[in-house]
Amino acid sequence: MSAVQIQGNASGTGTLTIAAPNTNTNQTLTLPDLTGTLSVNGPAFSAYANAVQTFTTATSTKVLFQTEEFDTNNNFSSSRFTPTIAGYYQVNACIYFSAMSTLYGFIIIQKNGVDYKYGSTLVGTAAGCFAIVSTLVYMNGTTDYLETFASQSTGVNQNSNNGIALTWFNGAMVRGA
Amino acid sequence: MTLYDKLISLYPALTVADFNPITGTICLQNNSDGNGDYIAKWNHPTLARPTEEQLA
Repeated sequence: MSAVQIQGNASGTGTLTIAAPNTNTNQTLTLPDLTGTLSVNGPAFSAYANAVQTFTTATSTKVLFQTEEFDTNNNFSSSRFTPTIAGYYQVNACIYFSAMSTLYGFIIIQKNGVDYKYGSTLVGTAAGCFAIVSTLVYMNGTTDYLETFASQSTGVNQNSNNGIALTWFNGAMVRGA
Repeated sequence: MTLYDKLISLYPALTVADFNPITGTICLQNNSDGNGDYIAKWNHPTLARPTEEQLA
């Protein structure tokens, strides 16, 4: 018969409590036959722009997301996501340029101040277009951070539209380190 | 006048293609922190990175 062993950590001082839910039914929690760290409710965030932002031509400009839909672990601040739990994160960002064709726009996820993934523009309306990027990224849980930038090359300034459905940035941990 | 405008004025041979995030050799950036545009990367093969005095 295999066994279950609960092992403390000599370096820590806290007490780990395993608590039962309020139930009258017998349940069995089966652990995976793997070595690793179980992840429970990793950080998730979603934010969007609540103001029009102007983007100078040929200049990568940080996109501002002033309003949070949710930020479960308080890891999103100043339009920057800095998760405090190491792991792999799915992140997604979108911007809507209100008066631009699809030929000229980029959206960029920067990790630690360096371009990490690019996304280009997609067909939008006759007047404007979306730029979308989506990626999986490893974050170390301490210093790694993500920001969203956008760039356009029309030769003149372009404005983004604000709103929960138009210009947004979200993500969540999908597995631990 | 934006930093881009200043660079185009200083080097008329430059085009927006030189500033393309993927294929360009020059990257201008603005961190939306109130400090304005700046040159984040300058790898142009023939044109020298301008000095602060030239951009003033």
